[in-house]
Amino acid sequence: MTAVLGTPTAVTPEASIRWCPVPPPYGPREQSEAGRQAAAAALAAAGSAVRAVPRATGGRPDFPRGYPGSIAHTDRMAVAAVVPGAAGVGVDIEDAAVTERMARFVLNDRERRTLLAPAGRHSPVELFSAKEAAFKALAGTVVADGLLFWRIGLVRSDAGLVASFGGLSMPVWVCSEAGSSFALAVRRYGTEEPEGNGRSTADGGSGEQ
Amino acid sequence: MPDQVTQTRQRIRELLVEMHGPDSFVRNVSDTVSLRQQGLSSAALVSLLVRMEDAFGFEWDDDIQPEVLRSISSLADHVVALRV
Repeated sequence: MTAVLGTPTAVTPEASIRWCPVPPPYGPREQSEAGRQAAAAALAAAGSAVRAVPRATGGRPDFPRGYPGSIAHTDRMAVAAVVPGAAGVGVDIEDAAVTERMARFVLNDRERRTLLAPAGRHSPVELFSAKEAAFKALAGTVVADGLLFWRIGLVRSDAGLVASFGGLSMPVWVCSEAGSSFALAVRRYGTEEPEGNGRSTADGGSGEQ
Repeated sequence: MPDQVTQTRQRIRELLVEMHGPDSFVRNVSDTVSLRQQGLSSAALVSLLVRMEDAFGFEWDDDIQPEVLRSISSLADHVVALRV
C-alpha cells in the first residue's frame, strides 16, 4: 500500500499537493475517482473556482485554464498536484518494485553512476518516478509526441533533480518512504535549454540493457 | 510465420499472467488493444519488456518506436520480425 508521503524538500511553494485514499475494492473506477477527488482538493487549495477535471482526448486529465496539474495513483492511494502559472506539471507515485534489470533499462550509464548510491543519493524507484513525472509535465509539447518516458534525461541539481528532453528542462522533486516513491516535475515557461544542450532521443535515455 | 506470431502472442500473454495473475485484466484483453489503456502501468510495461528479453533472447534497441510497445500483437510482430 502506498503511504501518504511527505512533500519533497524545497518543493516549489506554489504547488498544491493533495492525497486521497482509494476505497475498496480498489479497482480502476475507484482509483480514477480518488484521483479526481485529490485533484478537486488540490485545485481548491490553489484557489481555483473550478474543481472538476474532465478527461481530455486520450484520457489525460483536463485541468482548468491557469491551474495546470497532474494526477497519479496506485491501487491504494491517489495524489494530485496543481501549480498555478506553470507550463506543465507532472506527478507520479510508485509502489512497484524496480528491479536492477528495470533500473538498467530506464537509466543510462551516467544516471546509474551519478544518481544511484553510493555516488548518488537516489533509489531506482525514485528515479523511475522522476522520469514518469517529467514525462507527464512534457505532455502537450512538441517533444512529447512519441516520447518514451525512459528517454528523458536526469541530472543532479542543488534542489534535487533536473529532467530534460528535446531542449526542455525542469526541476523534479522526489521523496520516498518504505519502498514507495513520490515525484513532482514542474515545467516553467521560457526554460528551454540553450541550443545544443538538449538531450536527443539517442542520448536521452536508456533503452540500454 | 502465422504460427510464430500466434505462439509469440501466447508467450507474451503468459508473461503478463506471471506478472498480474490469471484473474487480472489479461484474461479479457484482446491482442490488439492498447495495454496502457487497459491499465498496464509504466513499471509493469518496463517489467514486461525486460521479461521479453529473457523469454525471446533479444535486447530492445534504444530507438524502439512507441507503436511497437502498444499491444500484445505489436509486441509479437516485433519479436517475429527480429527472427526473420
